[in-house]
Amino acid sequence: MKGLPAGFSRRASSSRVVMFIVLLALAAVYLGPLLSVVNVSLQTSQEFSLDPTALARQPQFANFVTAWNKANFPLYLRNSLLYTVVATAVYVLTAVFVAFPIARRYVRGSGFLFSLFVVALFLPYALIPQFQLMLRLRLYNTPVGYILLFLVDPIGIVILVNYIRSIPRELDEAAAMDGSGYTRFVLRVLFPLIKPALASVIVLHAIGIWNEYVTPLIYLPKKALMPITRGLMVFYGQYGNDWTTLAAAILMLTLPIVALFLALQRWIYAGVLQGSVRG
Amino acid sequence: MKLGYYFGGRASRLVPYLLLLPGMLLYFFVSLGPSLATVFYSFTDASGLLGAPMHFVGLSNYQEFLFMGQNIRDNADVLVRTLEFSFLVTVIQTGLGLAAAMLLNQRLAATTVFRTVFFLPVILGVTIVGLTWTLFLYPVGGPAEKLLNLLGGRSEFLGGPPFQAFLWVTWVQIWANMGVTMIIFLGGLQTIPSELVEAARMDGAGGWQTFRSVTFPLLTPSLNTNLTLAIIGSLQAWQLLLVMKGVTNGTQVLGLIIYAIAFGRTSANPTSVAMRQGYGAAASVVLFVLVLIIGMGAQVLMRQRERRVLG
Repeated sequence: MKGLPAGFSRRASSSRVVMFIVLLALAAVYLGPLLSVVNVSLQTSQEFSLDPTALARQPQFANFVTAWNKANFPLYLRNSLLYTVVATAVYVLTAVFVAFPIARRYVRGSGFLFSLFVVALFLPYALIPQFQLMLRLRLYNTPVGYILLFLVDPIGIVILVNYIRSIPRELDEAAAMDGSGYTRFVLRVLFPLIKPALASVIVLHAIGIWNEYVTPLIYLPKKALMPITRGLMVFYGQYGNDWTTLAAAILMLTLPIVALFLALQRWIYAGVLQGSVRG
Repeated sequence: MKLGYYFGGRASRLVPYLLLLPGMLLYFFVSLGPSLATVFYSFTDASGLLGAPMHFVGLSNYQEFLFMGQNIRDNADVLVRTLEFSFLVTVIQTGLGLAAAMLLNQRLAATTVFRTVFFLPVILGVTIVGLTWTLFLYPVGGPAEKLLNLLGGRSEFLGGPPFQAFLWVTWVQIWANMGVTMIIFLGGLQTIPSELVEAARMDGAGGWQTFRSVTFPLLTPSLNTNLTLAIIGSLQAWQLLLVMKGVTNGTQVLGLIIYAIAFGRTSANPTSVAMRQGYGAAASVVLFVLVLIIGMGAQVLMRQRERRVLG
């Protein structure tokens, strides 16, 4: 076997420095826009109109107070929280009862049912008939109708089915021998066993609902029902030139999401990976 | 394959069906059914108003969308722009995601911090991303303008000529979703045995050569996943355009005009609330066919390459 060529390690280490600098540059491209929101949120409006990039000399925390009061944040946040929690909870419960029998082939046509979820990515956009349905059910502009739209998520089912398949069947048999019924098994034995997949599905589904912008734009014209994403755009429409207050509003929404992301990123990455594996 | 059911006899065999029903019914009524019903609505003159009469109009929606009137030029422009958007997003996002994943895989310092930073926009969603970049692209002395001036360039950003604004939104779309591509590539890189890469280096292959002849071919499954997701996702994407540019001429893509036709302002008449949902459904079917053709074509090419590369 040949040894390492001469100068290998020096060349390698200088190329590592270059690679690190490239990473730093890319990170700057990612953090730059976010940091400028932070900066503007602390500027006075005079500072902003003179130079939006100048560092805020005296942090104007009053911008946050103004934004909080003017943007109706408490109401919008409460709505967002309600929609996200209720829809995610109901979805996950129904999803496990769909995924488990399909993974185990306890129902006829399991393979076919599974393929219905796998092909969902390719199907036509359901936007218009969905709206017609809600209109006819008189659920347009109601919280119930809005939540109903988020009780479905094919990728979550795919993730759960694939994960449950990795759990040995013998467990079902053993539990049944001990006298456990089907429902009890799913709720007491299966749920704890599939926690990693559940965590990913819950987090991804919840983020999707929380960030949704177009669905509330279409379905919830009533201001009192709007979630925070819509509320923020309404605020942008009204105070489009008042960027210091607007930046404060954007930041107030961003910070809690960043905090949650830092805590949950493991499950998010796992979910993205599992969701990308089909069939 | 007949596998046993352990939880009791005849009657209890129905329990799995009963408990599966709620989730399955929801999927049929909220998602799968409406998705398929798009074809049905495309043959009608349905509007978005409750109680308005609905008639079958045959193929006239398709005729209007594809072949008729003043719309035809607009619609052809929109179609071309959708393809441009999809091409740019797919190529740049995949390239950038691959580069980021390769760099993060080198065991340099602070890898997990970089990973977090690159993925962050995925979590923030279109509203925050759209507004953040609208501020960053602020035309009067904003950060992007200052940077561009330093490099000797200039741009009117979102307020300039439509195509320029369109390219900026395209970039933001890439910026926002690169993290997903990167994570999928990182997952793929973890499945490559490090002995293979080390063996290549021992044989004197340089970094680029190792990448080209060992790492990249073995990343084929991740590459195919990423390309598929990027192609389909970018053909159907339009929400960031709505947040950053609204419904304006010259920056629209197919998904956006479907929304505009079905739920609000049309490009021809920005103030009228048209809600022509039958016509919008026909446009949705056109988009679906486009996704199908391009998606299938890409699948065929990817399979061929996979066979060639992995044997």
